[in-house]
Amino acid sequence: MLNRNTAPTTQKIEKISFVKPQELCINESVKLLWMQDVPNETSRIDLYFDAGLRKDRNAIVSICSSLLLSGTKQRSSTEIHNQIDQLGAYFDIGLSHEGVLISIFALKNNIFEAFCLIYDSIQDAIFPDKEIAEKITEKRERFKINSAKVGFTAQRKFQEKIFFNTPYDELVQISDFDTISKKEIVDFHDEWIKNGLYKIAVVGNLDSEEIIKITERCKPSCISSPMTYFKSFCNAPGVFHEEKKSAVQSALRIGKTMFNKTHDDFFDFSILNTVLGDYFGSRLMKNIREDKGYTYGIGSTLAETGGSGYFIIGSEVGTEHREASLNEIKKEIELLNTQFIDKSEMELVKNYLLGQMLKSADGPYAMMDLFLSVDAYSLDMEFYNRYIERIHQIQTEELKSISKKYLQWDSLSIVSAG
Amino acid sequence: MVEFQRYKLSNGLTVILHQDKTTPMVVVNTLYDVGARDESEQKTGFAHLFEHLMFGGSINILDFDKELQKAGGESNAFTSNDITNYYEIIPAQNIETALWLESDRMLSLAFTEKSLEVQRNVVIEEFKQRYLNQPYGDVWLELRPLAYEKHPYKWATIGKDLSHIENATMSDVKSFFKKHYHPSNAILCVSGNYDNSKIRKQIETYFGGIPGGLKPARINPQEPKQEAFKIKSINRDVPANAFYYAFNMGPRKSSDYYLGDIMSDAVGKDNSSVLNISLKKELELVTEINAFITGSLDDGLFVISGKLAEGVSFEQLDDQLWRILNEIKESGIYAEKLIGIKNKISTSKAFQEQGLLNRSINLSFFELLGDANGINEDALIYQKIESIDLISFAKNTFVKTNCSLLKVCNNAK
Repeated sequence: MLNRNTAPTTQKIEKISFVKPQELCINESVKLLWMQDVPNETSRIDLYFDAGLRKDRNAIVSICSSLLLSGTKQRSSTEIHNQIDQLGAYFDIGLSHEGVLISIFALKNNIFEAFCLIYDSIQDAIFPDKEIAEKITEKRERFKINSAKVGFTAQRKFQEKIFFNTPYDELVQISDFDTISKKEIVDFHDEWIKNGLYKIAVVGNLDSEEIIKITERCKPSCISSPMTYFKSFCNAPGVFHEEKKSAVQSALRIGKTMFNKTHDDFFDFSILNTVLGDYFGSRLMKNIREDKGYTYGIGSTLAETGGSGYFIIGSEVGTEHREASLNEIKKEIELLNTQFIDKSEMELVKNYLLGQMLKSADGPYAMMDLFLSVDAYSLDMEFYNRYIERIHQIQTEELKSISKKYLQWDSLSIVSAG
Repeated sequence: MVEFQRYKLSNGLTVILHQDKTTPMVVVNTLYDVGARDESEQKTGFAHLFEHLMFGGSINILDFDKELQKAGGESNAFTSNDITNYYEIIPAQNIETALWLESDRMLSLAFTEKSLEVQRNVVIEEFKQRYLNQPYGDVWLELRPLAYEKHPYKWATIGKDLSHIENATMSDVKSFFKKHYHPSNAILCVSGNYDNSKIRKQIETYFGGIPGGLKPARINPQEPKQEAFKIKSINRDVPANAFYYAFNMGPRKSSDYYLGDIMSDAVGKDNSSVLNISLKKELELVTEINAFITGSLDDGLFVISGKLAEGVSFEQLDDQLWRILNEIKESGIYAEKLIGIKNKISTSKAFQEQGLLNRSINLSFFELLGDANGINEDALIYQKIESIDLISFAKNTFVKTNCSLLKVCNNAK
């Protein structure tokens, strides 16, 4: 007879085998990573350019990246997009402070052709006036819509405080779109797209010759010396509120400067962050959503930049619960500073993290993404074996001390909007 | 080709097994044949509120998430106007934990007052976050009752009014469970790296003893055929005037679904779509324009939405939009465009099928439509569509008396 009161026995995950992609060096600073073993017809090519927001005024950078496929001397924007469609290909352009990532998705038989088309269009982009004007209008409208959202307002304020006094703290203003010139966009493109390719990642069962051809085609736009990143961040602590009378919810963004995967405390703080706010059963979710019902969701993350990183708690709470929510967040952080996490919660978080690790290593795309996320910091797959080992070994005392070391309430930038 | 096996337990539970030896995980997906269309008009938002309560503990298990996380798993769920779907993703060696948890909440919930009270508040905050606290957030709360007058699609899954959620009682919750949450109203799909020699026995152990129930009859009011063009304007504090044209079209199980899907890609999916090229690029009447279908199980909607460029009137847009729609009714979509769309559909299907969770949800959903094997058949249906089919879809659909228009006007203008 089945006893429903007792949980089935479970098995711990002890080891996960990580598979490295092949590496082909294009020059001393740039390599192509290739995960060839894909059990189906799908494929993806990622192109990384050193053309992120940190390189120039935000408005110029964002217009440039969003117009990379807007036309060349040979082809109009519409022609380019129609040809991409013919190949059944999709693309995505992602922009961050650190760079521009262009991802191409297609079936493997078409991906090389799609790559050639997209790569050439990006390199030969001429930024027609009409396309610039259209994009500026679109960005302006988008900006107006976003400005009406408390999450956007809080995020901007937070960015200003977290990247305080660094090249990362510029906030784009709507008037910025009125003052950019085509020349600035073209110059930016010349400098950082035509000469800024710093990594290629291919997932898919392509022919070896195609891979070689990709490296050859990309060679002229590759960077010639290694990437460098700004490292000295220090957030501006304090409490900051942006009032918005009509809002029915307030957005909260709370955090401080932290570090990336290269730091000795990265593992311990990541585990602590999971306890606090990085899964459905986290302290913050249990308290602020599942006990109090103040919010639909709350979470925390350790976000990384090329040379540093930061910790952030984010949520949207009913305006009437703003103060109470902040108090509860403070209380949860202080609990981690002063009380030991009990054995059963330690076990739970460890098992959860190991399960997530297993899932994040499932399949060639996931494996490539795991590799990219360590390769960005010149680390390799061994990082994950060390992480797994650390999850198994870490003790509750160590989590308490890491919490005391970093999570002092007064050291945080506490932003709300609404 | 997605291989699967299908059978029924004696209590009426439909089971689909899909083995994949390449993954270290399993997915346990449970689809209940209940959505917002099964609610009464006085108690809307219930199917979705109920989805939240399903995580609030079951008859023998105090804390659903805790037990799952202890076994390295995670879970989530979603509710639509048609279905409610739950899943667990867990390391394959701990599959029994997922079966235990999912079967216990199919058996019965804990029904605690605390859980109901908290989840009411959580859903109210979700309502605010998604529908009230952002520009254009309440559009679907307005568009649905404009497009549907009788059918329960006239309210959104979140509910038609906050008060319905605020007033939900424990007895409402219990009777909802009794009616909709039992084996014969569910489809269970277990996929991934399970042990083939054990899986049927494991499922029988956990689910076999749950008492069967009667599959509830669904008698929803039919939406009468629309006879006249409908239009509504609302004033909101929004940055730009926005428009939503909703055309009636057939249900998920009709050819309309596939035709509408292709047509919406052709006219308004991305930069190269017909409306983007003509209304945004060439005429500069809009700053954005999209087309999509709701894909609902009963009669659905084909929606064209967008935002007007500054200084452009709704009438200017309306004239040009109808001009283009009328052209499509005459000459359809040019051949090259149609090939491009079909190629993109093939690519996106291949990518979707990559993910174990997607496969599990799709198998369950196709089984609800009548046959899980639909997952392997529907690519071909797209490929067979020809320009002439699209013309007839356009002629039937893009008709003024078949259309509801919602205009969202900037207060200041």
